Amino acid sequence: MRLDSSEIVRVAKVVKDFRPGFGLRRKRVLHGISFSVREGEIFGFVGPNGAGKTTTLKVLMGLIRASGGEASVLGCDVRETQFRRHVGFLPENPYFYDFLTGREILSFYAKLSGVARTQRMDRVATLLDWVGLSAAADARLRTYSKGMLQRVGIAQALVHDPRVVFLDEPMSGLDPIGRKEIRDLILRLRTEGKTVFMNTHILSDVEMVCDRVAIIVDGRITYEGATEDFLEGDAREADVVVAGLPPETGARIEEEFGAALRGHADRIEMRVAEKRLKEVLRTTLEAGAEVISVTPHRVSLESIFLSAVEKGRVEDAGR
Amino acid sequence: MTSLARIWTIATNTTREAVRSKLLYVLLFFAVALILAGVFLSALSYVESERILQDVGLGAIRLFGVAIAIFVGVNLIYKEVDRRTVYTILSKPLSRTEFLLGKYVGLVLTIWMQMAIMITAFVGVSLATGAPLTPAHAAAFLLTGVELALVVALATFFSAFTTPMLASFFSGGIWFVGHLTRDLRDIGGGSDLESVRRFTALLHRVLPDLESFNLGIEAAHGLPVAAADVWLPLLYGAGYVAILLVGAATLFERRDFR
Repeated sequence: MRLDSSEIVRVAKVVKDFRPGFGLRRKRVLHGISFSVREGEIFGFVGPNGAGKTTTLKVLMGLIRASGGEASVLGCDVRETQFRRHVGFLPENPYFYDFLTGREILSFYAKLSGVARTQRMDRVATLLDWVGLSAAADARLRTYSKGMLQRVGIAQALVHDPRVVFLDEPMSGLDPIGRKEIRDLILRLRTEGKTVFMNTHILSDVEMVCDRVAIIVDGRITYEGATEDFLEGDAREADVVVAGLPPETGARIEEEFGAALRGHADRIEMRVAEKRLKEVLRTTLEAGAEVISVTPHRVSLESIFLSAVEKGRVEDAGR
Repeated sequence: MTSLARIWTIATNTTREAVRSKLLYVLLFFAVALILAGVFLSALSYVESERILQDVGLGAIRLFGVAIAIFVGVNLIYKEVDRRTVYTILSKPLSRTEFLLGKYVGLVLTIWMQMAIMITAFVGVSLATGAPLTPAHAAAFLLTGVELALVVALATFFSAFTTPMLASFFSGGIWFVGHLTRDLRDIGGGSDLESVRRFTALLHRVLPDLESFNLGIEAAHGLPVAAADVWLPLLYGAGYVAILLVGAATLFERRDFR
């Protein structure tokens, strides 16, 4: 596999089939997905439940074997193990040995990750401090709350100072303060030059922290690119209110410009992509209608995401 | 960090889990209680009271050892996958085989530590009642330790791909039949039917011959034990364990953790 020197993660035409049960037909959950993550960026992997986000992450972590295609992290095939010295992973709703204390579990993971004995306890203490668990460090994990376990999860992913960190729904189960703290931690990782791959469906977090995103729907990538480009493209829209629009012109605007029309002839509201605005206004005025107002409107990532999901499903149904 | 160091890290953590588990202390308590109860059972007999005392003690060590081996062994891998603790561990620079071997070694060490406590109780009771302790006892304990390591390997093998319920059933069943295969072979060998002779001989070859690890009679009666009766079962046990662990690791390497 050819690897661009700046590419930390590369997924090329990865396919995954699962057999739902003994004797049943195989079900394809990843349909030849491809994307890459560059060094030093925060990459958001976004998709609805069941789209294949966690399956993709598990393929990258070697927990699931791909049925086809190639996947590499730091230039190494994901079936190898030694590159994981430079990789941190937080699974969704992580579970740990609850008979250990916070300090013991981090020490255990640090040891497994090859952190030298002389640095181990210092590193563990630093991480406990980072995630705000110093006070509970010597309590058994069975006494920890869900939010505290999530923090342990973050700490174990970072305990060996990895180059790239994979986070599966890192804000899951956290209160607003906890979410902000984790968000700040992710941004801090960027300033330290780490690469972060984040599975999430909390789109406000994606907007706030991710440099680039990929959207996966039903096991297919429907978008990959910079978060900003995403918002700059179809993301800017305008709400146009017109009066006296002939029905045939309204139908034409809907069909040609992809505008969504509401209301009746006296007062029709249209939501139009900003780049098509001039054409829509010209068509409206030429039809003898009156333009009452034009209001620029910035679409949230959520609505873009929903339309990407919808588009992906329509394409899927057409196959 | 070397492969051995990673296996040892998993092993010591597995042992630590057992040391902090209350359930194993309960089992150990009953085992020691049964060994001590041998004093009262032997007092009921007019003859060979020392032999009864030691029969009960050796039997208790074996039975409780097997119970712990199967009970903990069948959950060894299943629990890690079911509770998803395996996700974070296997994301570290550690192969699945190293993880499996670490879990196995950890459980065997745990069982040997518990055996050591039971043996201490056995020796204490024997000394207190004046029952003889011979080199045959040491050989019997050693081979019981090997048998338990084999039972843990069986439980680990089944734990690598099936549920604890089925793994208990298979492991317990093989342990039970494993103590009969030698007798079955001998009985089948006297049959007029070629197919019966072949089948019982095959059964003896494929399933573990666990009676080869049983020196309880020699120990309780103070009979001499030939060196070959120790090292041959030792080699046999080690080979059988290796085959089971290779099988378990092969299956575990192919699994998807969904």
